[in-house]
Amino acid sequence: MQVMPEKRNTRQYMSTVRREPQEMTAEHLGQLLAEVAKTRSRVAFSELFRHFAPRLQSFATRQFGNEQTAMDLVQETMTNVWHKAHLFSPEKGSPTTWIFTIARNIRFDILRKNRHRQNDVSAEDLWPVLSEEMSDSDEDFALDTRILLQEIGEYYLQLPDAQREVVEQIYIEGKSQQEVSDTLGIPLGTVKSRTRLALQKLRELISEQN
Amino acid sequence: MSKIKFHPSEELLVNYVSGQLNAALAVVVGTHIDMCPRCRAVVHDIEVHLATRELHQTSPVAEPQLTAMLESILSSEAPAMPERPALQEHVVLESKSFKVPPSLGRHAARMGPWSKMPGGLWRSPLELSAEERMYLIYMQENAKLPEHTHRGNEATLVIDGVFHDEHDEYRDGDFIFLDSDQHHTPHTADESCLTLAFLDAPLHFTSGVARLLNPFSSLFFR
Ligand SMILES: [Zn+2]
Repeated sequence: MQVMPEKRNTRQYMSTVRREPQEMTAEHLGQLLAEVAKTRSRVAFSELFRHFAPRLQSFATRQFGNEQTAMDLVQETMTNVWHKAHLFSPEKGSPTTWIFTIARNIRFDILRKNRHRQNDVSAEDLWPVLSEEMSDSDEDFALDTRILLQEIGEYYLQLPDAQREVVEQIYIEGKSQQEVSDTLGIPLGTVKSRTRLALQKLRELISEQN
Repeated sequence: MSKIKFHPSEELLVNYVSGQLNAALAVVVGTHIDMCPRCRAVVHDIEVHLATRELHQTSPVAEPQLTAMLESILSSEAPAMPERPALQEHVVLESKSFKVPPSLGRHAARMGPWSKMPGGLWRSPLELSAEERMYLIYMQENAKLPEHTHRGNEATLVIDGVFHDEHDEYRDGDFIFLDSDQHHTPHTADESCLTLAFLDAPLHFTSGVARLLNPFSSLFFR
């Protein structure tokens, strides 16, 4: 396993190279997120962690007035960054803004958890940040599946090959966009844009016919 | 689509972005944002602004704690996303079906049954919790909402159609926020209208910046 050498790298990195926060441009932070998403780089994540943890700690302490709850928010936020970095999209905003919205959602959920409610709404229901299927334009993915199942068969063969392939895997084989990305070896963003284009085209074809 | 004339105030949008609103009001505001490119742009600016402001300062965290947290995150399992009701693209009233934006569609599974009220009105409650409730209200053509008073704030969003009151006319996407001192008598004319309405406790949106610092729980006071 490669866990050991990776860990050593991380430690070495932490004790020797310490970037000052001022040097952290949005572009650099975005590259770190991309590395975490693509290669699960522990080094890149450590750098993100060193930059954001003390900032989140300060934010959360102001929000909760309680250091332990604040640490919980930091840990939960950065755990999501580690596992969901692939959902970050530079076109939609800076890494700082993205991480702030994750922290905002976790703050909301922590405050509600204390209220012990059943079937409670979670922050993701109000501000979807980490829901994979919602991470692009909601409108485009909200095509009625009933329409699709009934009518897609007649039309999807008319799509360009690249789009047809994606639509086939998602709507007929039932794969998630992430699985399609893995299977075809293309970036998640490309899967999303192809799905979007394909759905647009399908809508046009269906409404032309009706 | 006609241009939206009435938008949430910047203060409401700031509270929406920072997660300070009653969740039901957040749904109403979020649904407007789905329908309104102008407010989407404003919300984006507010996010950038709040993120920069809130994540500017650092708090010192002891090195061993930081290292322990980092190690624990690197060896953690991916957090499970909780099951949530499917997004609905439409809400249905008898033979009518209305397309709804995703911010409302994500909660449509919580809609209660429609009840018919005198004067060509239908109402369906949508409850997020006992303290967080909104209503879908459908007014058929030439209907009139009975004179009503409310102790708190009232937010109304036009989902589909047009209604009038003594001040103006309101169409798809228009968002009207009234405090307890303001009264109006909504009615429809030739077109019917589906709205999403929220009624709040009397306490909120009265004070200025200090409200941002209020404990979250006070938002739920009724
Ligand atoms: Zn607006």
